[in-house]
Amino acid sequence: MGITGGAMTVRRLRVEGEVPADFRSVYPDLFATNAFQEPLTEVGKEEVEGWCNYQNLLDTEFNDVDRWLFGDYAVFALRVDKKSLPAKLFSATLAKRCELWAAERNKERCPGSVKAEMKEALEAEWLKRTLPRVAVTEACWNIPQGYLLLHSLSESMMDRFRKRFRNTFGLTLVPLSPLDWVEDEAVVESLLAGSPANLHGVR
Amino acid sequence: MSAEGAPVLPHLAVEFTTWLWWHSEQHENLFDLGEPIGTVNVWVDQRLAFRNPDEAKVLAVMTGENASITLEARAALAGGKVLHEVRLGFRRDEREYLLTLKGAELHITQLKLPQVVGGGEEAIHDRMFLYEEAYLVVGALFRQFTALRTAPEWGQEVLPALQRWVRVVDDLPGRDSNEG
Repeated sequence: MGITGGAMTVRRLRVEGEVPADFRSVYPDLFATNAFQEPLTEVGKEEVEGWCNYQNLLDTEFNDVDRWLFGDYAVFALRVDKKSLPAKLFSATLAKRCELWAAERNKERCPGSVKAEMKEALEAEWLKRTLPRVAVTEACWNIPQGYLLLHSLSESMMDRFRKRFRNTFGLTLVPLSPLDWVEDEAVVESLLAGSPANLHGVR
Repeated sequence: MSAEGAPVLPHLAVEFTTWLWWHSEQHENLFDLGEPIGTVNVWVDQRLAFRNPDEAKVLAVMTGENASITLEARAALAGGKVLHEVRLGFRRDEREYLLTLKGAELHITQLKLPQVVGGGEEAIHDRMFLYEEAYLVVGALFRQFTALRTAPEWGQEVLPALQRWVRVVDDLPGRDSNEG
């Protein structure tokens, strides 16, 4: 819920750069190249990201323009998956395995190299059966007017989105300032040169 | 224009939201925004969040009906805190909007749009039309404020009146009972 339903919490960005006249035929391929793809391995801890349909995060098909372009508006989403392990439980389990290894061999402790191997094996074992944390951030791009609404105020999400958007479309997203509302350049200059008002007066 | 756009001036957001609050009280919620918008009814709704001027962290939140006219809200302002978030309502023609302006960037958050009938593509168009109207009105309010803020009238009339309003909390509901 957000851009397409419910309350909207959005950051507005200006889109800079030229959109090709034939974007309806060009953009499906660009979306597809940068769409979300399931990772090749189940044991990766790194984040995986890509475009997906705004209605269903499992839908990464952009060939049908009518499913993401509604008049002037392109509506889509960025999906980011990340697997993480419960740190304390992981450490405790690893410690127990090391203890067991040492006990079985009548050793005082498990050597570092063995511990590292066991850690790697345990990580792989657990990551294989762990589902990723999935974040989906909606966006609505008014193509002719050159602005995009991002349904997130997070700075890190904005940076991630801007990077992927640039890599996909070759266009730059510029965050807007309240000063962008001011059309009179003289007013902007005056505001930039001014100092904060003392709203409380002499105290 | 750089890739980071125009600078954000944090004090402007504080001054703007305080001015909105003050103006709505002084002018019975009426803002004449000129053409093409006309007169809009704007009020402070059920949430105000304050912070210290030199900190980003919210220190006090006032919620509930008539939050803006409570002694607590005005006392927070009089005590030197500044607005970080303000929940606004506005009405244009028959359409009523609620939104929160947040932080130095004046992000439009928790925007509640008038009800849209239907779904699918039509709903997207309707919601974006309504979002644009909300954005247009907030932008016009900000433009009106900045025009005033850079005019001689600001220092001569508006700021002194605003300062008096910020300092004076004696005429608020609850003041007598609190003083016992």
